[in-house]
Amino acid sequence: MSTPRTLSTVARPTIDLILRHDLPRLPIAHRKTVTAFTIHRLDTLPQHLFWGVGLIAFVLRLISLGGGSAFVLWLSHRHIPLVSEFFRLVRSLSYSYIWESWPDTAPDGQLKMTTSSEVSP
Amino acid sequence: MSTTKSSKSNRATTSRVVDHAALTPSAHLWVAPAGRVISCDILIIGSGAGGATTAATLAEAGFDVLVVEEGSWYEQGKVVPFSLDQMERQYRSGGVTVALGLPSVAYTEGRCAGGGTEVNSGLYRRPPPEVIERWADQWKIADLDYDDVACLAVEVERDINVTALPGPPTMASQLLAKGAERLDWSCDESPRWMKYPEGTVASGRRQSMTETYLPRAHRAGARILTDCRIQKLNMAGDTAVSVNAELNGHRQHLITFQHVFVCAGAIQSPALLQRSGLHRNIGRSLAVHPTVKLSARFDETINVPDDVPVHQVKEFAPDLSFGGSASHPGLIALSLLDQWSDFKSVLPEWRNIAIYYAAITSQGRGRVVSVPGLRDPLVTYHLTARDRHLLKSGLGRLSLLMLEAGAREVFASFRSAPVIRNRRDVAEGMHRFRATKASVMTVHLCSTVPMGEDLDRCGADSFGRIHGTNNVFVNDASLLPDAPGVNPQGTVMAIALRNARHFAEVTSARG
Repeated sequence: MSTPRTLSTVARPTIDLILRHDLPRLPIAHRKTVTAFTIHRLDTLPQHLFWGVGLIAFVLRLISLGGGSAFVLWLSHRHIPLVSEFFRLVRSLSYSYIWESWPDTAPDGQLKMTTSSEVSP
Repeated sequence: MSTTKSSKSNRATTSRVVDHAALTPSAHLWVAPAGRVISCDILIIGSGAGGATTAATLAEAGFDVLVVEEGSWYEQGKVVPFSLDQMERQYRSGGVTVALGLPSVAYTEGRCAGGGTEVNSGLYRRPPPEVIERWADQWKIADLDYDDVACLAVEVERDINVTALPGPPTMASQLLAKGAERLDWSCDESPRWMKYPEGTVASGRRQSMTETYLPRAHRAGARILTDCRIQKLNMAGDTAVSVNAELNGHRQHLITFQHVFVCAGAIQSPALLQRSGLHRNIGRSLAVHPTVKLSARFDETINVPDDVPVHQVKEFAPDLSFGGSASHPGLIALSLLDQWSDFKSVLPEWRNIAIYYAAITSQGRGRVVSVPGLRDPLVTYHLTARDRHLLKSGLGRLSLLMLEAGAREVFASFRSAPVIRNRRDVAEGMHRFRATKASVMTVHLCSTVPMGEDLDRCGADSFGRIHGTNNVFVNDASLLPDAPGVNPQGTVMAIALRNARHFAEVTSARG
């Protein structure tokens, strides 16, 4: 039986940081839901990707703990091999979830009162 | 060779030993007995286009067949097509799988009863004659004749009800056709394997494996066991004798058999064979149809979140094909991600946006490598310079097509892409394009165990038996010597039917 594994501890703060920056008007409760979804998906990555993503998340977490959150955000917009893949993966999962769940969300994260049932059969 | 049917008589009792009703919602599923050992004549690992076809063919030929599937069985209609929920339930790793390279190529694998047939677009193309002839010639595949394959394809088309839409296609599909018409490019409607019980497009029901070949296999006596992972084959010399089956996450059963068909798809089949100690020409020649995408915004509402366009532009085939993709708002957000700062403002207009793709036939190849200690294989893919050029050319032509179709704005999925509003922007976009900046993906994976008699490049013989083994067969997309340049499911099924029938004839004759 496989051992449960999670990137929650190392990845959650960075994901939260990115979402707060990218989508400042996304309500906190929604941001928590999106973060939980993203972590869940990271946890189900194939093993080699899981460990690679975990390593990058760990380094980013260390930078943040050292007061380098602004630097992490700066990194998130640079095209650095592997590191940019981490940010792209996080944004892919998060944005997909947001706009599938709440399709009329504004690009800054502000929600309209619509639900996914409007676009799903 | 024994082809016993005696074990079938025991199934009715053993299958009721444990009530797993909550885990086995379909009447087609078999519940493993409480005992430790299960035996069968034919073990089929995987239940997708290859495995289900093999199962039905061999069960109907009188063999004692057990199908094991790693994923669960989902009744059609219970999961929203192309949704994140579907990716969670029916795809491997939630759909987040990637072949590493420059650029990396994102791919998806179905992981459920019916495999990829449950989650793909349902578009059908018959195997192209020139492809079959080239395979027979270059890979030295014995008795692979196009006329025979065409006959098998006709049979498959009947079984899965390949048909045109009963009404007009979606607006996104019509726009693709309109753009092609204005450019005088060849474009046609791809038929789908669907039934339309009420005669309307909306009533369509996919004729995937859980609707067709798996119930057929079940009616013919095959047992189907889901949520069952096989890590490797236990070999005794050149013969596979058993597998350890991990049921619902626990190692519970030993399955013994006389023959095994590995039909777990082009990634998992070679990985399983490698874990079993079989390496010769296994997993070295992954072929895919690399694909790049764009989003196009029109003046009118065109988005249909749970369906895909049926038109395909074949003007530049087999090198290049254009078509439409699933376009729910989440996927549109994803497609805009590469140049988010410039593209995001269009997102509120998602109802007027659809996603389209340009797919190429690649000369590049990839590898599937099973790494000791890791459950998941490492997958890599290398695009050639010609592939990169073709992706660029494809995206440029597709942008042009969209403008001709009436798109107000086109948003290509690569970093530094401009918003394309006219032909000059297309030129600028192609000037900026680099494959390494693009989001490249694929859904067509094949060729990791190519079949044929050329021992320098083929992992399996002309009918799918792994070279150097007595009873290990592959019968899925892994066998196709390269990517066929069209939606491959029809080709996979026709070849699987051919090989399964050959096995039945030869084995029955020996028995």
